[in-house]
Amino acid sequence: MNESVPLPIARKGSQLLKYLRPTFGVVVLLFILYRLYSVLVIRHEYGADTWTRLLITGLIIGGVYALIAIGYTLVYGILFMINFAHGEVMMLGAYAGFFVFEALKSIKVSSEPPLNFSNANPVISIIIAFAVGMTVSALSGFLLEKIAYRPLRKAPRLVPLISAIGASIFLQNAAQLLFSPQLRDVTNPEILRRGIGWKILINGSNVIIPYTGVFTFALSILLLIGLYIIVRKTKLGRAMRAVALDKKTAALMGIDVDKTISQTFLISGALAGAAGVMWGIHNGLVYYFVGFIPGIKAFTAAVLGGIGNLPGAMLGGLFLGLIESMGPAALGINFQLKDVLAFAILILVLTFRPSGLLGEVLSEEKV
Amino acid sequence: MNKTLLSQSLRVGITFGVIHLFLLLIGFNAMLGSLFADIARVKQSGSIPASIFLVLYCALLGVWAGYSAAKKEDANVFGRKLVRGLIAGTVAGLISAVVSIIFAVLVTNKIDPRKYLAVLSLDFMRASLFNLPVVQGVAANFGVLAGAGLAGGLLTALSSFSKVKHAWKNFAGLVKGGLEKIRYCTSGKYHLLFKIIFLVVLAAAIFFLPTKWGSYWNYVIGTVGIYVILGLGLNLIVGLSGQLVLGYIAFFAIGAYTMALLNAPEPHNLMWGFWPALALGVVLAAFAGILLGLPLMRLRGDYLAIVTLGFGEIIRILLKSDLMTSFTGGPRGIQDIKGPTIFGQPFNTDVNFMYLIIGGVLISMFIYNRLKHSRTGRAWLSIREDETVARASGVNTVKYKLLALALGAAFAGLAGGIFASRNQFTGPDEHALMASINVLSLIIVGGMGNIPGTILGAFALKGLPEILREFANFRLLAFGALLVVMMLSRPEGLIPSRRPTLQIPEDPQSDEENKEVSHVD
Repeated sequence: MNESVPLPIARKGSQLLKYLRPTFGVVVLLFILYRLYSVLVIRHEYGADTWTRLLITGLIIGGVYALIAIGYTLVYGILFMINFAHGEVMMLGAYAGFFVFEALKSIKVSSEPPLNFSNANPVISIIIAFAVGMTVSALSGFLLEKIAYRPLRKAPRLVPLISAIGASIFLQNAAQLLFSPQLRDVTNPEILRRGIGWKILINGSNVIIPYTGVFTFALSILLLIGLYIIVRKTKLGRAMRAVALDKKTAALMGIDVDKTISQTFLISGALAGAAGVMWGIHNGLVYYFVGFIPGIKAFTAAVLGGIGNLPGAMLGGLFLGLIESMGPAALGINFQLKDVLAFAILILVLTFRPSGLLGEVLSEEKV
Repeated sequence: MNKTLLSQSLRVGITFGVIHLFLLLIGFNAMLGSLFADIARVKQSGSIPASIFLVLYCALLGVWAGYSAAKKEDANVFGRKLVRGLIAGTVAGLISAVVSIIFAVLVTNKIDPRKYLAVLSLDFMRASLFNLPVVQGVAANFGVLAGAGLAGGLLTALSSFSKVKHAWKNFAGLVKGGLEKIRYCTSGKYHLLFKIIFLVVLAAAIFFLPTKWGSYWNYVIGTVGIYVILGLGLNLIVGLSGQLVLGYIAFFAIGAYTMALLNAPEPHNLMWGFWPALALGVVLAAFAGILLGLPLMRLRGDYLAIVTLGFGEIIRILLKSDLMTSFTGGPRGIQDIKGPTIFGQPFNTDVNFMYLIIGGVLISMFIYNRLKHSRTGRAWLSIREDETVARASGVNTVKYKLLALALGAAFAGLAGGIFASRNQFTGPDEHALMASINVLSLIIVGGMGNIPGTILGAFALKGLPEILREFANFRLLAFGALLVVMMLSRPEGLIPSRRPTLQIPEDPQSDEENKEVSHVD
């Protein structure tokens, strides 16, 4: 074999890359600093009231992202695969919530004054909606794993990813064919009507903290704490962590690996379902495509925080929500471009710190 | 033993019952029924076919259920297979009966659930009861599935009879022998002759067909051709060098927009002409490939997939945004793109474009083939198999990965330029993520890394849906299911690539020269 490549060329190539990355980083950093300086200090476009509004929006959406991101991180931590269909699991939960509210709305409690079940017992209705939504999503996540991923566990890594993409397309279109492509308005119980909330006066203008937003944020924090307790304190959590570390050894220690993986999918599905119902309650629109963009954003959040790392996913979610709402304003760019910002951050994080903000440095095999 | 029989058949029955329910709720039975009606040349009004075709659909499903239940039986006992088929069919039938009872209730009370479940119109539900009175309809739903399940069991049982088996074996042997003969004729000493005949026939077909079969077929086959070019380009990246890129259509968009911006009157009125714009589009796409690749060379597998997906979305959102409206026409896209000229003559009829696309496909195939069997191609294969080992053996992985990205992107730029020019339009929504996934799927379905697979995949995923218009609504659904099923059962694709093998010469006396690494495909 006289064709073998001499080593020096290889070294030259990697050296080019060695200088390129820092240069690129410095350029990006300088650009961001320049934009921040010109927008925040020179132009001073927005007052404190606008910033508060953006902060609130960011926190709310960030909570939802965090819930979905946890699902990605849990699954990635155990199987080293991106559950591409996770966003669709969330979409199914959102539909379930919508149908529950519709069903409860159609139950008349009294005719004079006209009162339906969902307004008469708002707390119970919301609990039912979340219970159904989480169950539906958990079951669909469970089935997804069983049908589309489990037989591929030993296959090369491209194969389950493509299977996941296929499942994602399938679920989206199944929902479109079943429920029609139209956008559905979710009718909340009266106490959670959209657009009303506490008002605080900042800078002479009213800033509304919407009830739905507070509810969403509080519930997502509660669920995240619950999950953290499950993973840290219970037997199931211990099994999950063991399987994530080393499947073979875990099996030798008497852990049922298949069952643990199934349970992981159940939990991540349930969280995605909760996120879906919240999405319906807060944003008010449910359609077959609703899970896709939040799914990708949540994956970004999981990567941002360090994939496989639970607190990382939570922080990453909140952080991404904040960047998305405040970033365009801070950098002085159009709000249409907030998705561009999110994806650009994904690319930057993976370029400069693939292990994320909190993640440990992964070996190249895992990345 | 009997317990496994019962539980396995029950499981098959329940699975098929649920599948039946799902297909019913998305209106698949009506669609398939209409297809049957078309084949039988029965005119129908509206989208709901005559009951007989719905019965046929149910029967087919039942036979399939019975067959898959009976197939699981290991013992070659006639009765057991029948019983399995019957159980599966009965269970599926029971589920179907329950569903039809619900339909019957809805129909008799004239409740229209279409607000929530899109296809369930009253007519549709009546048709699902085979337009019979309620009780008979429910009974028929049960009976057809159960009977068909039994028939499926019977079929399986019969086919395992030794005589049938023998006949089948003989037939299969005959076919196989024939194929072998053909293969023998086309290889070996007659190889060249057959190759020449084949090529002549192919060339004649390529030359004459576009003028004969009309603009519709030119459009359909032209689209397939564009996707063949795209598929080959993506094959360079995914199939050969093993980098999963999900935002591939962004490069296509770059080619298309270069063509559009330089040749349309609307935003800039530059009118460079087709060829310079095509060339520039190819170069720009390749450049974008390198630009994207440079910071991402450290990433592998899933991460690379998601980042390139993000890149594709960034390009699409930018094209669509207000920021770029004055430059790229925003969400409206760019219209009236001028067609190509050759020696000053306009070259823009559908036949001309067909030739252009065929030319593009041939060039791409040639370049792809040369690259694949070159030193570069071997370097890519080594990177795909194991990047660390490749680097350790002295392959400059960064260089070769960038090269793959750039070349693959250049293919996409070419396809994009031709596509935009042919359609005389390009807009941001043509370049959505779904298009990227389409291209990826076509090379996976066809078989990754080889040309026949790519062509087959392009026909299957782009040509068939155009031809089967009835399937339009179900296309993407089938597509997603196909991807999953494909990965589960045949991850290497319809036409799998053969791996390069080292051929050791039979004669040990012959010297070193006969040893060669051959790439058979």
